[in-house]
Amino acid sequence: MSSTDSQTNTSKEDNKESSPKPAAEKPAPPKPAAEKPAPPKPEEALPAFEKELTDRIVNQFADDVEVGYVKENRTRINVKKEKILDVAKFIKDQTPFDHAESVSGVDFPEDKEIEVVYHLGSYTDNRYSKQILALSTRAPREEIPNPGNDSTKLPSLRDVFYSVEFHERECFEMFGVYFDGHPDNRRLLLPEDWADIPPLRKDFRNKGR
Amino acid sequence: MSVIAPKFRLAYFLKAIIDNVFWIIILVALIGIPAIQIGLFYGDLPVIEGELLTAFLAFTWLFNPAMALPLVKSLIYSDLFRIAAFPGFGFAALIAAGTIFVERKMLAKLQLRVGPFYCGKIEGILQLAGDGLKLISKEIIIPAKADKPIFWVAPVLFVATAAAFVSLIPVAPGGWVVADLDVGLLAVFAVIGFFPIITVLSAWSANSKYPFIGGIRALHQMVSFEIPLILSLLGVVILTGTLNLSEIVESQSNFPWIIFMPIGAIVFFTAMLAELERIPFDLPEAESEIVAGWLTEFSGMMYGLVQLGSYVKLYAFAALFVVIFLGGWTGPVFWPPLDEQVITTGLEIPSYTGDPFLTISTPGLPLFDADPNEWILQKQGELQYTTGQLLISGVIWFVLKTVAVIFFILLPRGVFPRIRIDMLLHIGWYKLIGLSFVNIFIALGLLYTGILGPGGIL
Amino acid sequence: MTEQIPTDHTEQLPPGLQLEKVDDRIMTLNVGPQHPGSGHMRIIVKIDGDYIVDADPDPGYVHRGEEKMAEVRNYLLNIPHLERPVIHDSCNILYPYVLGVEDIVGIEVPERAKYVRVIAAELNRCVYIQYWLAIYGIFLGHSTMFMWPAGDRELMIDLLEKMTGARVTHSYFIPGGVRNDIPANFEDVCLRQVNYFEKRIKEYADIFYDNPILKARTEDTGVLSSQDAIRLGTTGSVLRASGIDYDVRVKEPYDVYEELDVHTNVLKDGDSYARSKIPWLDMFESCNIIRQALEKMPKSGSVRTKLRPNPKGVGNNEVYKRVESGRGAAGMHIISNGKPEPYRVKISPGSFRNLIALPYLLKGEKLGNMPAVYWSLNYWPVEADR
Repeated sequence: MSSTDSQTNTSKEDNKESSPKPAAEKPAPPKPAAEKPAPPKPEEALPAFEKELTDRIVNQFADDVEVGYVKENRTRINVKKEKILDVAKFIKDQTPFDHAESVSGVDFPEDKEIEVVYHLGSYTDNRYSKQILALSTRAPREEIPNPGNDSTKLPSLRDVFYSVEFHERECFEMFGVYFDGHPDNRRLLLPEDWADIPPLRKDFRNKGR
Repeated sequence: MSVIAPKFRLAYFLKAIIDNVFWIIILVALIGIPAIQIGLFYGDLPVIEGELLTAFLAFTWLFNPAMALPLVKSLIYSDLFRIAAFPGFGFAALIAAGTIFVERKMLAKLQLRVGPFYCGKIEGILQLAGDGLKLISKEIIIPAKADKPIFWVAPVLFVATAAAFVSLIPVAPGGWVVADLDVGLLAVFAVIGFFPIITVLSAWSANSKYPFIGGIRALHQMVSFEIPLILSLLGVVILTGTLNLSEIVESQSNFPWIIFMPIGAIVFFTAMLAELERIPFDLPEAESEIVAGWLTEFSGMMYGLVQLGSYVKLYAFAALFVVIFLGGWTGPVFWPPLDEQVITTGLEIPSYTGDPFLTISTPGLPLFDADPNEWILQKQGELQYTTGQLLISGVIWFVLKTVAVIFFILLPRGVFPRIRIDMLLHIGWYKLIGLSFVNIFIALGLLYTGILGPGGIL
Repeated sequence: MTEQIPTDHTEQLPPGLQLEKVDDRIMTLNVGPQHPGSGHMRIIVKIDGDYIVDADPDPGYVHRGEEKMAEVRNYLLNIPHLERPVIHDSCNILYPYVLGVEDIVGIEVPERAKYVRVIAAELNRCVYIQYWLAIYGIFLGHSTMFMWPAGDRELMIDLLEKMTGARVTHSYFIPGGVRNDIPANFEDVCLRQVNYFEKRIKEYADIFYDNPILKARTEDTGVLSSQDAIRLGTTGSVLRASGIDYDVRVKEPYDVYEELDVHTNVLKDGDSYARSKIPWLDMFESCNIIRQALEKMPKSGSVRTKLRPNPKGVGNNEVYKRVESGRGAAGMHIISNGKPEPYRVKISPGSFRNLIALPYLLKGEKLGNMPAVYWSLNYWPVEADR
């Protein structure tokens, strides 16, 4: 995709946004789910098993990680993007999580960030088979995206969790997040001649909406 | 509703038919009749037995069995009739058409469906004709970079080779075969050898990947299964001492060879399935792997011709199985010889006073006449052609046996999945060839112990 | 067995361009998207003789942007279009979404509705597996196995039609229960048809699963070891055929599955034959579950908690819900920001997760095994594309 194409497209989008009609539709900046959990809930209410799991990770990487939430069967760890590979390796080696169920990209235009959430699960350990660990990290977001050649980059977890391969390819084409170290950074679902911005970003608008 | 599919209106339909009829009548009246008149004016009418052959006289003779019989006989004794109609291509194509219909209905019943149902009102009996019309009316698309002459000629060659195969099959006693060769079985092998060549030529000339893979598969399959096919028939040749197919049939007047050589029959049947590319050996046309194999680029009537050829080939193989293992046309005769008067003048049955009171006659069906000496002449080998009840009985037995064999060729399609090419070649080269050698040793044992064969006990 | 042709990428090319290395021995086949053995996808297969040296799946021909569409419709309007990715299993693909929305808007489901949902989901699983099995049969050239499941599938479709009013696209599950109650005397009809259905699918063993040619063809082809099954993150029947005992219905029971006796079918072999047999065994299990659920279901009561017309999510909230669909675990990641529309819906279906095993399994296989291996992955192209 050439930069001129995306330039024209984004300018078009800007025009649209300046007009009053679609402006109302623009989503409010969602607060990152990170800030939610701890204050409202008392410590004892947290499920013990999941709390113990997150504590292990927090103890290992003191400041680089923060606990997103701890709910029954679901936990979430927010990691800085520099540390994501280390945390993933730790999780792979020290905890029974062995595969990725899903890799969701979430676009946050107000924060100028794109979040990538890896949902990790475990097949091998029976106690962990209910658990889903959401490992999230954030990459900077470009107003004029140029997938692969801009700063929207993250280290790939493909060498740690092989199962993220196609999920990361999908995330690359849908959000423009380039995964460094991914051996096969090609488009998966979109056509070869797609010359627009990555379609799941919030500033890509469906026709007629 | 929409413009693309206008509503059917009976009035328009009738108008179209009446239009056609009107124009045919007009053209015949304005061009055909004057042409005949002018022709009659210049040409001489033939004089037969002192009578001028008018149209009235011609029709009179045509509907008089006594007069028409020699004409019809001379027609059916001609080579053209044998090549085009009865033991040759027409007969085979008719059975092939029946095969397609039976295949579709039988498979449908097996799979809890109804199959062709509407076309032709009675169980979809005209479905095949409709399919043929559709194929004829379709556009023939040729790949841009195909080798056009070879690509064009391949379907025709396929049908021609199948027809050549058919021409070697004896259908009824007394020389009802297009080409009665002394080396009939060798000629059969030679004709079978043409099929892989045509397949590979057409596949290669299409200049496309899937036909290419299909053609290579067909080549592997046919070549590797020709060897057990030929070897499995050698046992019969050893015991009969002849390669003439008619003589092989006559050698089975007491018992069919399948009683003594079931192994050979099984090997031949399996190799036959592979040669015919029937499921479970339909690898050259495996649609989920290589679209339609070597048929991928054929369209319209070219595809139709290949299908026709393959079903004619199916009939020919089934008939070869019948001829060699199941005794061909041999079987009990249905009814005693009829008197010739029944067809010509009518058989008069006298009462006890001597006056005829009942006359039995069946005009039409000129083939029903019979020579009372046919049996004897047939035994002495002096009769060139059999007609009459011997012919009818022979053909009925032959067709019955062939249809039974065709049924068993069709049946695996509903029961088995497709096998893989390496398994197929393994079956061909290891198992079938070994079994066919076992069959040859059995035949040699029967020959040298003096049980069968020339001068044997049985 | 097969020699892997080494491909060296010595030349550095600008990104986005690929130089295809031409080798006289290697032929590139485009299997799909217009191919009787591919479905709505393309597999770029490189073959050396009869052996596949490289396979590159190229999905996306039926990509409809369901996730994008979900961001501009409210929670209820999302229901009809989110089941479109796999209409033959529409109840199961909608299940995680409905569970997630119930969590987000905070709504309780009546007990009877949970049982009705389980019955509908299991019926729909049978419908899907029958369709899948039919195509597996025709991929192997077994036309009877195409017709029989396609015909027997009507039994379950009729039941679902009685329940939901639609034959295929049910839109039956809604947050708070199901759309309408099941008709009177449905239990008797359902029990009768399920029993007959079970009798019918037992016959598949005779014509298909015990067929010697089928066994010879699919056994020991495309073997996925249990370590690889975990590493590749496969799910559903592919995982269970490789010897991993994992079923979301058992491991993380949703709705009333923990009150029912669910047995997980596991085979050790990990080959195409085992992968094709697991869904068939699952159908028997579904019949068992339906019978249990019919027995334990409350005979009367509400099937639906009324929802506000335009329900909003409770604050910033995110859920990840998963269920066992016909193709494995189907997960939905729903993020809400307090608006009537979800901020983001990510569908992670079983097909997409199993697709990663395809190039891994096809390398070194024979070309004739391609349909058997490909379709045994329980892959539904439309669902993977979303």
